[in-house]
Amino acid sequence: MSEKDNAHEVESSEPITRRKVLAWLTSMGILGSAIVSVFSNFVFIKPRATYGLPTRFSIGTPNDYPPGTRIALGKERVAIIREGEKMAAISITCTHLGCIVGVADTGFACPCHGSRFDQDGNVTGGPAPRPLPWYELSLAPNGELEVDKGKEITPGKWFTV
Amino acid sequence: MKMRLALAIASILILVVHGFIFYKQFFHKWETYQASYFDQARTLAKTDQEKDALSGRSAKIEQIIVTQFGNERVDRCTTCHIGSDDPRFKDAPHPYKAHPYSAELGDKQGADGKWERRHKFSDMGCTVCHDGQGRGLEEFYAHGEDEFWNDPMIGYVTQENWKYKDKLKGKEFMQANCAQCHTDKEFKSTPLVNKGRELFIQKNCYGCHRIEGISNGTLGPDLSEVGKKWKLDYIYESIVDPRANSKTSFMPKFNLSDDEVKALAIFLKSRRGFNYAETNLDRYRMTLNKGQVTPPAPVTDKSPVPAANDPVARGEQLINERACVACHKIGDKDGGIAPDLSFEGLIKEDKWVAAHFKDPRALVPDSIMPTFGFSDADYQAMTAYLVSQKKTPSLNNPQEIYTNLCLRCHGDKGDGHGTIATYLDPYPRDFTNAGFMNSKTDDRLMNSIKNGVPGTSMPAWGKVLNDDQVKGVLTYINQNFTKEARTEIKKRDVPEKNPVADTPESVAAGESIYLQRCTGCHGRKADGKGPNSLDILPRPRNLLNAGFINKAEDRRLFESILYGVQGTAMPPWIDYGLSKDDVGNVINYLRSLNKNKKDLVAMCH
Repeated sequence: MSEKDNAHEVESSEPITRRKVLAWLTSMGILGSAIVSVFSNFVFIKPRATYGLPTRFSIGTPNDYPPGTRIALGKERVAIIREGEKMAAISITCTHLGCIVGVADTGFACPCHGSRFDQDGNVTGGPAPRPLPWYELSLAPNGELEVDKGKEITPGKWFTV
Repeated sequence: MKMRLALAIASILILVVHGFIFYKQFFHKWETYQASYFDQARTLAKTDQEKDALSGRSAKIEQIIVTQFGNERVDRCTTCHIGSDDPRFKDAPHPYKAHPYSAELGDKQGADGKWERRHKFSDMGCTVCHDGQGRGLEEFYAHGEDEFWNDPMIGYVTQENWKYKDKLKGKEFMQANCAQCHTDKEFKSTPLVNKGRELFIQKNCYGCHRIEGISNGTLGPDLSEVGKKWKLDYIYESIVDPRANSKTSFMPKFNLSDDEVKALAIFLKSRRGFNYAETNLDRYRMTLNKGQVTPPAPVTDKSPVPAANDPVARGEQLINERACVACHKIGDKDGGIAPDLSFEGLIKEDKWVAAHFKDPRALVPDSIMPTFGFSDADYQAMTAYLVSQKKTPSLNNPQEIYTNLCLRCHGDKGDGHGTIATYLDPYPRDFTNAGFMNSKTDDRLMNSIKNGVPGTSMPAWGKVLNDDQVKGVLTYINQNFTKEARTEIKKRDVPEKNPVADTPESVAAGESIYLQRCTGCHGRKADGKGPNSLDILPRPRNLLNAGFINKAEDRRLFESILYGVQGTAMPPWIDYGLSKDDVGNVINYLRSLNKNKKDLVAMCH
């Protein structure tokens, strides 16, 4: 018995066998690469760059938009509004079904289902569920204005030229 | 145990590879650049507005999509060169460095000292001026290596390995890309392109090379898209040393200054086949009315005319300016490609020279001389100068005569491989071919020397040499090259005049015989380029050579067809069953092919 115990002790007092180290290394390798693949798969889900208009784009210098301007940029789908020294970029994609809304001095009007918005993009009528979003405007170091459609700001937050 | 070891090693290896790929895919150089840029920009930002603009910005791929220049361009250059439009970074190191402002490019400085760009990056992108691959996010892909890239970035980066980088330094070669949109011939900001275009005409490049919309030369390669295919360095080299890149090129070395070569190279680099400002629709329209859009070779006559009153002096000036001696020989100047014009005044009449200038192939059908589009006044002046070359050479013995007059084409061994022989068609006669030489009478050979061979480059030396000299040369040729005693020439039974009347029926019968018997060598078009012609030396005669055919007597044609031409591949057709009537019909057919060209030929000799 004691002999058997002794033998067992010899076995357990020597836990780091060659076999164990190899098993440990193998599992580390497989586990590690599995984790890395899971990570990379998650990162790959969102594309780094898409073709088509970048979310952040330049719209020219503030001088291109004299005070009182309300102009729709069709390709970029954004309306640039300037009142005095205040400027804003408001989306012209209708929040209802995505038609392009018309820009007028009195506000925005959607031709598809008759949604109406006031000058700041708040819904005044029709089926549109939400007001038109405002996008962040910023002045790039080269003196050009940049619109970032990736960043919505609270309506009424004007950019001062 | 071995299996476990292998498994462990393999799994660790896989982890390492995975980790490496992960690192490569998700840790980019451009992220480091952008992070560093944002850090620097934040310390530079003074006003709240500037700080606001930077808040929340993180490293991401920046791209400019340009749709207004033909095909859609996606330029991601600003991903690394993120400070390129930030004037605060004008002295920063690459890749943060801001693109310089320059009044030459049309940038304007406002009253507050701030510059405004004429070519806004957000409208134009980068590759439209700088080339390179806009989508590339690594230096290798974006800038391109000019050894194996069609459009490497045209700029300082790729110059490193250029052979001629000392001569093409600076931003001058950027003009080639300005000209992609600014096609105006007088556009102020591309002086080198404009000068190159002028030189292309002035130096007669257009005579051999085609550039769509400018010239229609066929002798050299089409240069319409040369700027797309080759780098600037290669183009430069091809101009200064045509044989450096193409061993078989016979383009002459033109005597151009470094500045002229540079202008030409930059002009050629700007030839990409289309212009960026065109849309696909524009290009489609161009292809629809092709032929109409190509204007005739424009001839700009901007050379100074100090000697306008004296046509001979003016002609001399023109001939020197327009690089005629790049191919021809006049006196001491020898281009080594085309015939000697030193005795032109003795050999040719002014009528012939003037007509030949206007259309070389009307008189020598297989000549490679380009048709230049000079003005009539220029042609007259050049003709006057050439015809004034009347100095009789003092040649004492047959050897001197041969060396000075014959050797250039017929070669120092008399085998027809003279220095310019490859550029002549028909090829100069091989005097070592005894079979041919001894089958012709002395009279016939003397006649060829004295009166030349019409429709070929063989001039009538009888106008330079007297009969004794001609006889001497013939003896010299016979003794030194043919080296066989003249044999008795068999009397052939051939009629002096074609006995078959020239009727449409006879021509039709001749044509059918021609199609059956002759096309293999002389070709379906009778232009001497039949399928067998490539294997035959001397080459089959071009039977559309009106100068030759109309001058050849019936007797000679009869003899050549019926009894063959000894020393050549032309067989005696009498052995293959052609009767005299058949040959008469064939001759009528051949004459009918050249009938309408008689007026021009009247000028030959």
